[in-house]
Amino acid sequence: MPGKTDKLIEQVEHSRVWRSIFRSGTGTSTLHRALAIQQNVFLHLFSNKVRKRMLSVSSTWYLGTLTFGTFLILIVTGVLLMLYYHPSVPQAYADMKDLQFVVSSGLFLRNLHRWSAQAMVFLVFAHMFKVFYRGAYRAPREFNWVIGVMLLLITLLLSYTGYLLPWDQLAYWAITVGSNISSAVPLVGSKIHFLLLGGNQVNANALLRFYVLHCVILPLTALLFVAVHFWRIRKDGGLYVQQSEPKKLAAPDDAVLAKEAK
Amino acid sequence: MQTVKKFLSSLWQALFGDTMRAFGVVSAALLIALAIAPAKDHFSEWHGYQGRYLSLIRDRGDAISLRRRVQPGIQQTWLPELGVVDRCTTCHQGLKESSLADVHTQPFRKHPAIPHSLDGFGCVTCHRGQGPATTVAEAHYSDRAGEDPILPARYIESGCGQCHQNALTGTPQLNLGRQMLARYGCVSCHSVKLPDGTTLTASDNPPSLEHIADKTTREWIFTWLKDPQAYAASATMPNYKLNDADASDISAFLMSSSTQHAGDTATLVTASAKNVDPTAGASLYGQSFCATCHAVQNAAGNLVGGDVGPELTRIGNKVKPEWLQAWIENPRTYDSKTLMPHYRFTPQQVAILADFLKNKSDSDYGANVHLNAATPLQIAHGRKLVAELGCAACHKMNGVSKPENFAPDLSRIGSKPLAQLIFLPGMEHSLPSYITRKIKQPRGFGPGLKMPQFTLTNAQTDALTTALMALTERSQSMPAKLRVAAVRESNYQPAGHAGKLMTELACFSCHRINGHGSDMAPDLTREGSSVQRQWLDDFLKNPNTLRPSLIRRMPRFNLSDSDRKELTDYIMVAYQSPDIDPDTAPSATNTPATVEHGRQLFYSKYACQSCHIADTKTDKGYIGPTLTQVGSRLTPAWIYAWMRNPQALRPGTMEPNQNLSDEDARALTAFLMTLKSSGKQETK
Repeated sequence: MPGKTDKLIEQVEHSRVWRSIFRSGTGTSTLHRALAIQQNVFLHLFSNKVRKRMLSVSSTWYLGTLTFGTFLILIVTGVLLMLYYHPSVPQAYADMKDLQFVVSSGLFLRNLHRWSAQAMVFLVFAHMFKVFYRGAYRAPREFNWVIGVMLLLITLLLSYTGYLLPWDQLAYWAITVGSNISSAVPLVGSKIHFLLLGGNQVNANALLRFYVLHCVILPLTALLFVAVHFWRIRKDGGLYVQQSEPKKLAAPDDAVLAKEAK
Repeated sequence: MQTVKKFLSSLWQALFGDTMRAFGVVSAALLIALAIAPAKDHFSEWHGYQGRYLSLIRDRGDAISLRRRVQPGIQQTWLPELGVVDRCTTCHQGLKESSLADVHTQPFRKHPAIPHSLDGFGCVTCHRGQGPATTVAEAHYSDRAGEDPILPARYIESGCGQCHQNALTGTPQLNLGRQMLARYGCVSCHSVKLPDGTTLTASDNPPSLEHIADKTTREWIFTWLKDPQAYAASATMPNYKLNDADASDISAFLMSSSTQHAGDTATLVTASAKNVDPTAGASLYGQSFCATCHAVQNAAGNLVGGDVGPELTRIGNKVKPEWLQAWIENPRTYDSKTLMPHYRFTPQQVAILADFLKNKSDSDYGANVHLNAATPLQIAHGRKLVAELGCAACHKMNGVSKPENFAPDLSRIGSKPLAQLIFLPGMEHSLPSYITRKIKQPRGFGPGLKMPQFTLTNAQTDALTTALMALTERSQSMPAKLRVAAVRESNYQPAGHAGKLMTELACFSCHRINGHGSDMAPDLTREGSSVQRQWLDDFLKNPNTLRPSLIRRMPRFNLSDSDRKELTDYIMVAYQSPDIDPDTAPSATNTPATVEHGRQLFYSKYACQSCHIADTKTDKGYIGPTLTQVGSRLTPAWIYAWMRNPQALRPGTMEPNQNLSDEDARALTAFLMTLKSSGKQETK
């Protein structure tokens, strides 16, 4: 029976369709394994080799991964919320109420989105601190740190733009105050304010702009930066290993994953 | 301590000891977490109520038909043009079930009968609350983010007032409140714009203070300012809670700014009233039906009389005798807009009445008030106070003009968000409770507030609150086709000498003609078609009572023969109905048989005697007018038209429309026209 399954799997993996999708097959050799990672659009972003020690909780606290996890949750719940939401003045608040009162598990969706957003902001900061205190921002990783800062800004902007969408008093005044801060910029302040709101007041245009920013522009930008961020980890030599750590402790774990599997 | 530690570590081992275990436990936890949301949906509050409703109707006689009308799931009323999304009927399942009249437990009670369909107007339109919500707490009590909590039932009439700007018979509280907004001068300071663009105007007719020194003394003004209700319990002037110095300064300013008016001090040549019968004053007061408009407190402390004019209980304390005489002689000299008629009393009668009124005084009232002559500084301070307190918003006075936008606009007070209100400690956080408290204790909300203290009963305060709660955003944005406009006062004025007479006699203080005037006495718009000329002439000479159930009566004016003829002619010509042909049902062609048939109809088929009196010996009806002399009073054409359709001639009359056939109407008219006064009318 197992032999039969293995044979079936092998057959599928050698079929033309499979080979057209996954260019290199899996194999037991290091080359095969490296190719499998390298030739996959998603996996090639990651290091093809990771030290086993770096996978322990203590070395990274998985903060970056957790941040990415919340980001995925936000994308999934966000897309589902978009099915019920109209970014228009008469409908926006009523749609919130419908989500709360009549959509099945609508309140759960909203809450999941909201709490994930809060968690993401917290995790991004925690991730930064961890990177900072471990000195992982140093050469050759300076540029990845810069990308990280960009991602922090995008995260905060996502939070901010999402705040207006419920279209209640809290949202209205938070955005009024927030956008007025931008008018304090010298010389171009009022222009930025106007550009941000699509007018001089928080109104239908501002709602639409914030919706587009929140649902299209900022998430796409974030995805792009996340991709570069991940890719740079690999290019900068994989996850950062603290040099000052005693070699004695480090040595047994230094075995490469691929070798371990062998 | 050790055991706890040991237990915890063994627990950790059991749950997360190896990778597989940890994965399994975390997966199970995730599944449970994900199951919570649909479970909460399933066990939601409204599911419970729908279940309870089903068990409530299960044992009833008409369970099958009730059961058939039950709609499971979330129900909603959606009215886009009203902005209504109501899900109340999800729980309130029995609203439209007339057979549930005996069910008193909410949310299953039947809705009381109203003239509207529940689906056509939704629930929150009248009851407020958060329509889209599906939990009791959110639907009834939420006030977050501008949501409206549910309106207490005792203010529910405010819901009607959002569309209906006119007075409805079913909304006495709202009508009273609206009347009070005008009557108590609320709208003199606060502006109230109605959805149709008009602004409420005050109807309290506050006296001008331009010639106040002719009328009364500074001491009386001082005492009045300190506490208006101490002078007259029914006074509508509110209490400004002035201290002695301020009241004294204001009185000084009013006296100093008052100018003398030519007519007030003209000494009248009057025969002394001293030698006449001591009861003459009281009987003249009674005969002139002064009590129709003016009230006097009786020994038991109750007010007796109408509330059109000021209360006269302590009038002797207030007015100067010579001013009183001039006023009774012709009130229009002092105040051209007064509601009081010019009675045309003889100088002797003026003296008797003035004397009678002068004795209506209270020797204790203001007895201890002694004011020193005012200094210019005090007068200036009085003037400043008058401007600050907004006295000129109601009263016309010299040197201070009417302030604009003196108090907050109340056009949308009924939708004011709770977040914008400052509540006192211990107050219920709701808009009606805020408004009620503001009316009851306006100065209680902080120092420096100017709104004075009104003397109102709880019922009056509730009525005012109801009227104010009707002034909502929704009312302003209501589609025009749902709006029912108020009956607007026309600016009709009769012309010529007769018109001048009618103004002098203040006909419009009681009667309504062509949409102008009060509704205390019958509408006279069609009077010329209705009555016979001779009767009208006699009535103006000596008004008698048409309706035995009424206390208020038309007073007698001492009109000269030429004036009376002028007035009669004018009424007969000007107030004709185009719909009544004077030649229908002429009484001359009636045969005795027709008359007898009419009598039969009157007494048996239609039983008119249950409300009317045609024969004083047998009939007892007192709701409608007495008909013993109707043949001398009304025209046959009018009676005939009235028989056919009373409501067409006088909308809202109590007389039922019996859908009489032409033949019956003619016979009844013929019978009624035989009920004439015996011979010449006696003059009392």
